[in-house]
Amino acid sequence: MTTRLTKEGRPAAGTDYLSETRHRKLGFTLALAGLILAVVAFVANVAAAGLIGDGDEAGASSVLAWSFGLTTTAFGTIKLAIGIVLIGILVRLWLRVEAVKVALAGLKPQAEARVVTGDTSTPYGRAVAGREVPKPLPIHTMARRLWKPMLAMGYMAVVAGLVTSLVWSADEASTAAAAWTQGLQFLGEGLLLAGISFLLGTILGSLREGGGEVQEALGLTVKTLKMPTTAKVFIGLMALGVMAAMLQFVLYLVVAGGVDNTAAWFAWLGPLREVSLGLILSGVVMALVTIGNVLGFQFDRIKEIVTTGN
Amino acid sequence: MTINTLTNFKYTETAHSPGYNRLQRMGRRLWAPMFLMAVMAWPVGFALAIVRANELASASPDPTTVARLGQVVPAVMFIGFLSVFAAVSFAIARILGVFRKGGGDVQEASGRRVLTLKMTAAAKLFVALMAMAMMIIAVAVVLHFVVAGSVDTWSQATIEQWSITLEAVRRIGVAIYLVAIALGLGAIITVLRFQTIRVRQLPSETANG
Repeated sequence: MTTRLTKEGRPAAGTDYLSETRHRKLGFTLALAGLILAVVAFVANVAAAGLIGDGDEAGASSVLAWSFGLTTTAFGTIKLAIGIVLIGILVRLWLRVEAVKVALAGLKPQAEARVVTGDTSTPYGRAVAGREVPKPLPIHTMARRLWKPMLAMGYMAVVAGLVTSLVWSADEASTAAAAWTQGLQFLGEGLLLAGISFLLGTILGSLREGGGEVQEALGLTVKTLKMPTTAKVFIGLMALGVMAAMLQFVLYLVVAGGVDNTAAWFAWLGPLREVSLGLILSGVVMALVTIGNVLGFQFDRIKEIVTTGN
Repeated sequence: MTINTLTNFKYTETAHSPGYNRLQRMGRRLWAPMFLMAVMAWPVGFALAIVRANELASASPDPTTVARLGQVVPAVMFIGFLSVFAAVSFAIARILGVFRKGGGDVQEASGRRVLTLKMTAAAKLFVALMAMAMMIIAVAVVLHFVVAGSVDTWSQATIEQWSITLEAVRRIGVAIYLVAIALGLGAIITVLRFQTIRVRQLPSETANG
């Protein structure tokens, strides 16, 4: 089943909750394709190590140049696959919202509806109670708008870097080609991870909105978790990581333009680009932890409605 | 009447919520230490990289120091990556645990049968690949330290061969980790589909006792 997302990030009307969506299979297939590319690059690298043993330094450098481009493309492909799987999760979360809305109306014991407002404490953190679905936070709106361009630009940068890696391979002594390849590909990797982060942000926004919709539809107090610390840390780490990814790209361009002692520059730019990805990945951990907490809060709230009717 | 639409799923039926399984409990406990280890490793790795760059930029770089740090820097950076990918994997296992426990709790609270999805093939593969990737990267890290300890006795060509091979090993480890993460997230899709169908069944099912 093909499921299109609306501008609001919801599955198109009429999506059948019983059917399997294609995202999971498509994501797994793409991940497998990425793994195959990574294996090819692995074999090439081992072969390059053999060439060093044979004294063919130039041959080894040439192989290492294109295998670097191919490995990073493999990583990019698997990250794109992760993005597609996350879209599948987003679709399924909205189908779950509709299901819970329908089911709770039948499960909820008859009780006089008591709507309370104000701040409240829960085992999952501070929550706010009100009568209506809370408005999306600016970060949710931003995430909804940006995940697609980030994934697209990221993958394009990675592929552009693959092309420059072929130029680098043909002229293995070219500092400019080496710098362009590394800078472009790790900018692409950073943008892909940012796309994944924005998808996680969109999922968090959907959980907030969907949870509110269910409670509002039943005429109950709409309880929503306030933004937890883990979510704030997520945003901070992602922003830092994306800035570091852009910085490393600019610095690689400086190297491509010609600097003294290229080896010294490459010696710290490599770890800098890894730090940039590490920061975004740390943000992803925080986002996943936040999703776990929000889901726990929502299950508790559903249980409360099922047992008390309020 | 119960709509029988769960025939494509393998699930267990119990009277009470099953709670978390062993791996999910592990995920709940371990994501935070792994996260901390990652954010501690990268600054150390980056600082060592700066030291190496300074040595390379100096008037007379010491080849042994440069070669040694050339092994230690990737080793420390990849302790960070090993940890952060483990933290991501544990966070996914934690989410799967929330679904398992939360889904069970809601069914139990409604007085209906508690149906819980059995571990899917994707989830099993997720765990296996995650363990495999972790071991691959850990082996590469250990060998980097071994090479770092041997730079003054091995030839430059040998060190270079090891560096290239270990880089390849690290990269394949990362690729496997990423595939494992895709599978873990895919398992969440299956759980969501199962729970969506199950929650729709609940109102039409007779409550126990």
